[in-house]
Amino acid sequence: MGDRIRNILSFKNIEIGFTSGKFRHVLLPPLNGSAGNGELIAVIGKNGIGKSTLLRTVAGLQALLAGELTIDSKNIKEYSRVQLSAKIGYISTEIIKVSNMKVYDLVSLGRFPHTNWLGRINATDDNVIMEAITKTGMLEFRDRPITELSDGERQRAMVAMVLAQDAGIMVMDEPTAFLDISSRFEIIQLMHELTRSRNKTIIFSTHDLTMALSQADKIWLLKEQGVIEGAPEDLMLEGAFNTLFDDRKIQFNSNDGSFTIRNDEKGKIIVSGKGEKKYWTEKALIRAGYAVVDSESAVEIEISGPGNSNWKCKTPASSHEFDSIYELVNWIRDNDFIS
Amino acid sequence: MSRKKQQDFTLMHSQNKSGIIFSALVLMLILFFILDLFLGSVTIRPGEIIKAVFNNSDDTTRTILAQFRLPKAITALLVGVALSISGLQMQTLFRNPMAGPYVLGLSSGASLGVAFVILGFSADLSPESIKGFGNWAIAAASWTGAGLVMLLVMMISSRVKNIMTVLILGIMLSSAISAIVSIMQYFSNETMLKAYIIWTMGSLGNLTASQLNVMLFSVLIGVILSLISVKMLNALLLGEDYAKSIGLEVRRSRFVIIAGTSILAGTITAFCGPIGFIGIAVPHLARIIFRTSDHKILIPGTILAGAIVMLVSDIISQMPGSDNVLPVNSVTALIGIPVVVWVILRDQKYRDIF
Repeated sequence: MGDRIRNILSFKNIEIGFTSGKFRHVLLPPLNGSAGNGELIAVIGKNGIGKSTLLRTVAGLQALLAGELTIDSKNIKEYSRVQLSAKIGYISTEIIKVSNMKVYDLVSLGRFPHTNWLGRINATDDNVIMEAITKTGMLEFRDRPITELSDGERQRAMVAMVLAQDAGIMVMDEPTAFLDISSRFEIIQLMHELTRSRNKTIIFSTHDLTMALSQADKIWLLKEQGVIEGAPEDLMLEGAFNTLFDDRKIQFNSNDGSFTIRNDEKGKIIVSGKGEKKYWTEKALIRAGYAVVDSESAVEIEISGPGNSNWKCKTPASSHEFDSIYELVNWIRDNDFIS
Repeated sequence: MSRKKQQDFTLMHSQNKSGIIFSALVLMLILFFILDLFLGSVTIRPGEIIKAVFNNSDDTTRTILAQFRLPKAITALLVGVALSISGLQMQTLFRNPMAGPYVLGLSSGASLGVAFVILGFSADLSPESIKGFGNWAIAAASWTGAGLVMLLVMMISSRVKNIMTVLILGIMLSSAISAIVSIMQYFSNETMLKAYIIWTMGSLGNLTASQLNVMLFSVLIGVILSLISVKMLNALLLGEDYAKSIGLEVRRSRFVIIAGTSILAGTITAFCGPIGFIGIAVPHLARIIFRTSDHKILIPGTILAGAIVMLVSDIISQMPGSDNVLPVNSVTALIGIPVVVWVILRDQKYRDIF
């Protein structure tokens, strides 16, 4: 099994960015990282830090400014375009709009490195194409024009194209960006499945941290200082995410990997009770700007049992009952407790 | 297994369908080519044609056919083929449904090249030298002019993504080039000016045999280049990034496509003058007929459709049965513009696709 996690891609001290003429714009300090065979790798970082540039560089679409990028133990510069395309596939955020192009036509373009000078599709190619279409669940859309697909279907068609390309590494720039929750899960599940059943290495960027933390084998965390890589859990324990965003505004919750918006604290409130109702009441209070504490507060909210649903708010001066969290929070806001 | 059979069946079915359309187009091409020979100010009956072909007699019918109708029909065919392919290649290369050799200024660029040759150097070119070397000089000048405009448009469209903006800039470009040509005309002498004006009026009918040879040869090169670029064009449909990532050498492919387009559009402009709206409209007709984005089908389809449309335009411009001849330019405009308007007015969601 040691062979499975062989490094298929690695970069040493690479500089990424743009050059135009003599002007050279390097985005980040030299970066180091690697990807193993069959790993699902999430690239995470703030907007504009250079996630797309890193992905485009890794996919060979943008020139390396310095350093060494190795794909399948060979320097990327030694590959011709066709050779490289047999190793690494790429899906961008750009939406392809071509009239009269059917899903089958799109996927068959993935066979580009394998076909003759006319791009003729033979029986072998047809098998690979149909297999890719079936694998991505696009069989029923085979003859549908790509302009008539939903966002999720189009993304799956793109995955099918790269599958037909038969490259070991797939690079995807924000594959879930435009998708609704169910298509998002479908795509991530498909990507996860491909790394397991086909031993594909998939490197994708995302803003969906919770998804990345739960699904990825490895994270490339892009920060101003460079790439921090490791299993999501390792990075969590190292506290690498704590400084990802401005921690005066956003609080990272290292228990479940979620983020919450940090509001100015208006006061402290005790919540007594238990179960689901207590959990959601606390959430609402935190959103309203209060800290939930166990003691040292003059204001206490009592939650009665599941049958008779009401909330009792006790202050030194008064006691009120409410039928819903909405009413409770509104009342607390109106009275603006500072305790 | 049954699904596999079904797939094979549908694949074969769609191939058959294209096959039938291709056969129909070839038949139409032959039909209109023959009609183009028959119809004109003097209508020739089929019997007379056969007589003219097989008898070695020196009658008028034979003269009309061999000296006028046949070269003109061949010219029309070449013009249709060349302009349509160049339009298709430009539309895919720039990913712009409104691209064409005329609207984006390739024809003007070619005119500028020709103007340089005629107004600049050929003041003392004798008719003999025009027949021999002169034809190639004019052709080469127009290729260069068209090629330079092509590169300029390439630069513009890599910076400006909006289709209509590219179009407007293309119109600006051709206006600027026309202005330069006007200035050159102003400073040239009477003989040169006359030679140039006659050239700009260009038509399908005035070509000498040697000009026709040059044109035939150049269009052949252009067609071969277009066949070589079939796979590249298919990849470029996806845009530069995807084309690269599936293994296309984008720079080399662009060179091949730009060379082919410039040779095709330049040659036609050099010998027939600017002919509009064939290059932009015919590729759309081919897309409507074949319902595909695959250049393996679109290139031959466009070749056939272009030849047919141009032969029809020529027949109309000859106004069968009357002594008048319409400028072929106006006929192509009246056929092409409705297609272009239809493309512009298509459903909103198709606004930026081709």
